[in-house]
Amino acid sequence: MSDRWTERLSEYLDGELPETDRAALEAHLDTCAACSETLVGLRRLVLRARSLEDRPPARDLWSGIADRIGAVPRRRRLTFSVPQLLAAGVALAVLSGGSAWMLHPDATGVAAVRLDSAPSGVVPVVAGGSTSETARSYDAAVHDLERVLAEGRGLLDTATVRVLEQNLALIDGAIAQARRAVAADSANVYLNTHLAETMRRKIHLLRQAAALVSAVS
Amino acid sequence: MLLLLALLQQIDSTVPAERGQRLEVSSYAGDISVRSWNRNAVRVTADQEGRTRVEIDRSPGSITIRTVGHRGAPRMVDLVITVPTWMPLDISGVNTDVSVVGARGAVSVETVQGDVDVDGGEGLVSLRSVQGSVALRGAKGRLEVHSVNEDVSVGNSSGEVTAETVNGDITLRAVDASSVMSSSVNGELTYDGTIRNGGRYAFSTHNGDITITVPEGSNAAVSVSTFNGEFASEFPVTLTETRKGKRFNFTLGTGRAQMTLESFQGTIRLVRPGSSRDARDRDHDRDRDDDG
Repeated sequence: MSDRWTERLSEYLDGELPETDRAALEAHLDTCAACSETLVGLRRLVLRARSLEDRPPARDLWSGIADRIGAVPRRRRLTFSVPQLLAAGVALAVLSGGSAWMLHPDATGVAAVRLDSAPSGVVPVVAGGSTSETARSYDAAVHDLERVLAEGRGLLDTATVRVLEQNLALIDGAIAQARRAVAADSANVYLNTHLAETMRRKIHLLRQAAALVSAVS
Repeated sequence: MLLLLALLQQIDSTVPAERGQRLEVSSYAGDISVRSWNRNAVRVTADQEGRTRVEIDRSPGSITIRTVGHRGAPRMVDLVITVPTWMPLDISGVNTDVSVVGARGAVSVETVQGDVDVDGGEGLVSLRSVQGSVALRGAKGRLEVHSVNEDVSVGNSSGEVTAETVNGDITLRAVDASSVMSSSVNGELTYDGTIRNGGRYAFSTHNGDITITVPEGSNAAVSVSTFNGEFASEFPVTLTETRKGKRFNFTLGTGRAQMTLESFQGTIRLVRPGSSRDARDRDHDRDRDDDG
């Protein structure tokens, strides 16, 4: 799953490989399916990260949650020091306006990564951290946002609350299906990424709901 | 009826506009209709009811229009606003349908219960609704269209496109995009546009089909992933790599664009230009036959 070129894919993506190494890596990509797949996954991550919003909800609501999940400000460029994590079946989720992180439902043997800011604006993906810790951070963020929605539901139009809850249920159903699929094929990059992306959607929708509550309170 | 008419007061105000100003509109309920003209002025017409008034403020950076309730939330007010074509627009509402025609600047629209329909816009065009559909046409630049519970569409536009909804379809037609990110949880994704060399095109849905019209001569490295879905192509493709499960890659032409197609449990379909609607219609007919 990993070879000496895997470590250099991020430099390749950033256009920082010397010409000779670049040519050698491209030749390697022609024959190595694992590296090619990892490269595709990394490109998706970069594309996704570049589209992140930086706009927080109107009220100070987000700051506490962002602290809890380790959210960091603006990012537009990524450097990956350990991209083989993708090939190892680690899932990716990106929190809009906040951190990007990876998680896996089964902590055994699977690393978690998070994105931390760097002074230059380059955001390295750093290996390490506990998957269970990441999962707890996610659960806590969901819990906080759900509490905001529960406490503020009386302030919102009933039709809006109904639509929000229906769509959250829809996402929960998708998350449950994706979890079962990952459990059956834990090394599947697509399934892990899809699970993480669907979980990100839940956070995003809950943040929208919290912003609506904030706007009318 | 006479009493109601007596309480209604029609306003028709025109204020001068200068380049560098943006229009900010905030309305709680009612339609917001923005049109454009070649005058450097903003005209506002509305029927305001006694307990709700329309306030127009002008500052060096903006012209602000908002509806204000005397006590409590403002009542429904339909606003018709005419602006210079160059003027950036920032429109927000709650129970508000928003339509914009002829804008040639940045456009931002946010509403909760209401549809968004925009024809035009350049630069950053960001359209969001929670409960309504979002439709964008004739725009160019960075185009972001989001809904939660309804369909999203972009047509006859160019630039970088991000389209998201949770429970709805996403249709991108006649789009000249250097990058596309299109994703839904419960909806079909359709793309009929250019596939540029060096472009990035990502389509992802959990429960829905993906239909991509591939123009003749396209060059794309295509990655297909599904868990419980199918893949169909109207033209032959040679798989370069098949991974465990339903995941595989193939290359069209020189492969200079990157395309990822992911549907957890829907059909991913590549079609020739002009046939995407036919293919979908055939599927719908088949579904009806199966139901019958």
